Amino acid sequence: MRFRFPRITFFRGLAFRYSIFFLIAIVMILFVPLVIGYGSASVLLFIKAQKEATILTEQTVARFKNVLQPTELVPQTLVQAMENPNINAGEVLRIARDFVRHDTVVFGTCLAFEPYLGGKDSYWYAPYAFEKHGRLTTRILGSSDYDYFKMDWYRLPKLLNMPVWTEPYYDAGGGDTLMCTYSTPVYRNVGGKRIFTGVLTMDVSLSSFSRMVKSVNIFKTGYGVLISRQGKIIASPRPVMNNQNILDITRVGKGKLTQLAVRGMMAGKSGFSSMDGLEAKKFPSFLSYAPVGKTGWSFGILFPEEELYDDMYKFLKVMSWMFGISIFILLITTILITRKMTRPIVRLVEATHKIGQGDFNAKLPVRKSKDEVAQLTRAFGVMQDELRNYIHHLEVTTTEKEKIESELKVAHNIQMGMLPRGFSTPDNWDLFATLDPAKAVGGDLYDFFYLDADHLCIAIGDVAGKGVPASLFMMVTRTLLRAKAVAGTPINLVMQSINHELCQDNPSQMFVTFFAGIVDLKTGEMEFCNAGHNYPYVLGSGEQIRQLKVRNGLPFGIYDTADYTSSKFSFNPGEILVLTTDGITDALNITNDFFGEAKLAASLTALASKNTRALTELLIGELKRFSSGAEQADDITILALQYKTAAGAMPPPAQTVQLTLLNQVSELDKLAARIEELSGTWNIPPKTGMEVNLVLEELFTNVVFYAFDDQHEHTIIIDFVLTDVHQLLIRLEDDGKPFNLLETKVDDVIDKPLEERQIGGLGVHFVRKMMDSVEYRRDGDKNIVTLTKNF
Amino acid sequence: MEINEIKTDQCVIIGITGRLDTTNYSVLEKKIMELIDNNSTKILVECSKMDYISSSGLRILLMGLKKITLMKGKFALCGLQENISEIFEISGFTSIFDIHASTEDALKVF
Repeated sequence: MRFRFPRITFFRGLAFRYSIFFLIAIVMILFVPLVIGYGSASVLLFIKAQKEATILTEQTVARFKNVLQPTELVPQTLVQAMENPNINAGEVLRIARDFVRHDTVVFGTCLAFEPYLGGKDSYWYAPYAFEKHGRLTTRILGSSDYDYFKMDWYRLPKLLNMPVWTEPYYDAGGGDTLMCTYSTPVYRNVGGKRIFTGVLTMDVSLSSFSRMVKSVNIFKTGYGVLISRQGKIIASPRPVMNNQNILDITRVGKGKLTQLAVRGMMAGKSGFSSMDGLEAKKFPSFLSYAPVGKTGWSFGILFPEEELYDDMYKFLKVMSWMFGISIFILLITTILITRKMTRPIVRLVEATHKIGQGDFNAKLPVRKSKDEVAQLTRAFGVMQDELRNYIHHLEVTTTEKEKIESELKVAHNIQMGMLPRGFSTPDNWDLFATLDPAKAVGGDLYDFFYLDADHLCIAIGDVAGKGVPASLFMMVTRTLLRAKAVAGTPINLVMQSINHELCQDNPSQMFVTFFAGIVDLKTGEMEFCNAGHNYPYVLGSGEQIRQLKVRNGLPFGIYDTADYTSSKFSFNPGEILVLTTDGITDALNITNDFFGEAKLAASLTALASKNTRALTELLIGELKRFSSGAEQADDITILALQYKTAAGAMPPPAQTVQLTLLNQVSELDKLAARIEELSGTWNIPPKTGMEVNLVLEELFTNVVFYAFDDQHEHTIIIDFVLTDVHQLLIRLEDDGKPFNLLETKVDDVIDKPLEERQIGGLGVHFVRKMMDSVEYRRDGDKNIVTLTKNF
Repeated sequence: MEINEIKTDQCVIIGITGRLDTTNYSVLEKKIMELIDNNSTKILVECSKMDYISSSGLRILLMGLKKITLMKGKFALCGLQENISEIFEISGFTSIFDIHASTEDALKVF
């Protein structure tokens, strides 16, 4: 399965993440000074507001004092003057009246006397001068209805022996207005004694204070409030509050701070504190207050807390917006920048995808700068080049390996091709040999060939080692045998000569064990020489088995001067000589047991009655069963030669004859020979024999040339059956590709002029023309052609 | 199969003895090509001692005929045995080849 790179979405990308980290850092960095700034700004604002409020309070109080100063000073002066007995009370009154006329806040004055001290006949005597509608009017106060002796403005100064400011009151009988009265006790010297005579009052209209209080502005809705000693609200811009007692207002629904502030005010202290405000609703507010001179009044300035910070909040709001917008712009910019920075990486990733999918020429993004991404890209480029080179190298080596393998196959074919295949022997001899290589190219060999008509040379050998070197050594040995073994040369001398040659140039110190024998086909005598090879077996009739345990010299390739002797063996009729290599005894099964000599001897004994081909193939079959599952470790070679009967004792002619041919053109000679032989024994006319020969040659060559795609050896079996005295049935069987000759169109080929004549199809044409019947069938993996020919 | 070659004034006579089949047709092929290469464009194949021919052999004779005809030469056969004649008949070659009963007859056409 190919690995898929996950698609990088924007929110998982580096650009986004870097931007977020960057922004978080910036917000953190900016947040701290912002908080500190906010804190210190609010503290500064508070201090500034406190200062401002205090100053304003003091200024206002000073204004009050300015206004009230004459109101207090004038009576005190007059009262002092009155202590002098020479001063007339009427004179005092006149001065007081002038003062009223000129002063803005004082609208009335009264000189109230003790009983009978103002006039001898009057209990009450209190001349009162007051301004009304711009004119100064005088009236004498005091009656049973208006008993001023009980009033505060008279009672308190008398009692306390000091000037007193009264609480605000509405004077119904006197000034008919809301006012406060400053009463100063009057003393006269009567006979050296200082006697309380009465009081001199100054009535102050509160409406002018109201104007002053109303003119006090602080912040947006901040306002002033003037209260009396007992908490009565003298003046405020809030009409609801006038004439109310501040204690009543603040009694319900207000917090402790408010109570404290109000009490501080009423105690004549000055200060600055936070409170809940004086309105019905709670507005967290600040209160700055201070006493107004000796009046016992207190002036306060109230303003809502939020107004104090209003500007700051406004500023903060703007700041926040700007901050937000800046961060947003910063975010966008960072994303754009990081994207620009990571774009080459993204391109690199895309190129890497392509490389991963096998496109080694995928173009990498070009970076001219020398940053890390460029370095990474360059590193990738180097990697890509190396990968490309590596793949190229791999391709080359693979091709070479394939070439070597195919060459090995060719070598195998050459090696196998060198081994003789035609097992044609006189009828009283039966020969079969096989070589089953462990790897593609083996080190075993066998050979047999005629030295002359009566002498057959047989040989078997085993080169130590396997593979190409062993194979080459094997081929050299075999070639030397063919060159040196000539009729009349004793086998030991042949062997000596081969060994000498092999030792001449043997740099890799290879050696080969070898057995060779020359069999006199007439007598059944064999002269043999065993150069360190496995002992051959001899199978007699009646399950007798023995070995030719003779050593005639060292294996080839060890000493170039080694001597070889020869031994003799005489075949008894029916005996089979079996030559093997140690590939059989050394064959291993999956539990690593050897096949061994004992098992080989037992197997051969059991197979003694078979012909050589059957014996060989059955033995190999047994070996394969034994080692099934285990890898074949060594070449397996068997050569079997049987001396069937004494020469000349020919078997009676059979009505059925089978001919097995290999897929080689040279086998045609055998075919021709067999047909000639059959023509004699079955009385077939020469013309018929020739036609049969011709047809079989056509069919056989067709199979040899076209039926097989491989290079392997195949057999083609031809059965001849004499079904009648004058009818021959021929069956031809091959395991090649399916081919039905009856489907080939040939008739139109025949009548064409020379220029267009092709030879193809002529063979099939012969088959049809010359045979009496032709049948074709496919049986499993075999083509079977059945022919009949009458004669 | 054995091949002998007699050069006369008129032509080259190639005598075939024995079997001409898939195993040995190349010998004849080589011989004919050799003659063609030496500009011998008049060839008579003497078949009286040829006792077998397969399609491989016929192919070589056909090849020789085609090449020589292209070179405006002469390619003839003579002395075919009865069996061989029949094979020529079956293959339709009798109408293509210039076949003569004897060497003497054949030499007249060169």
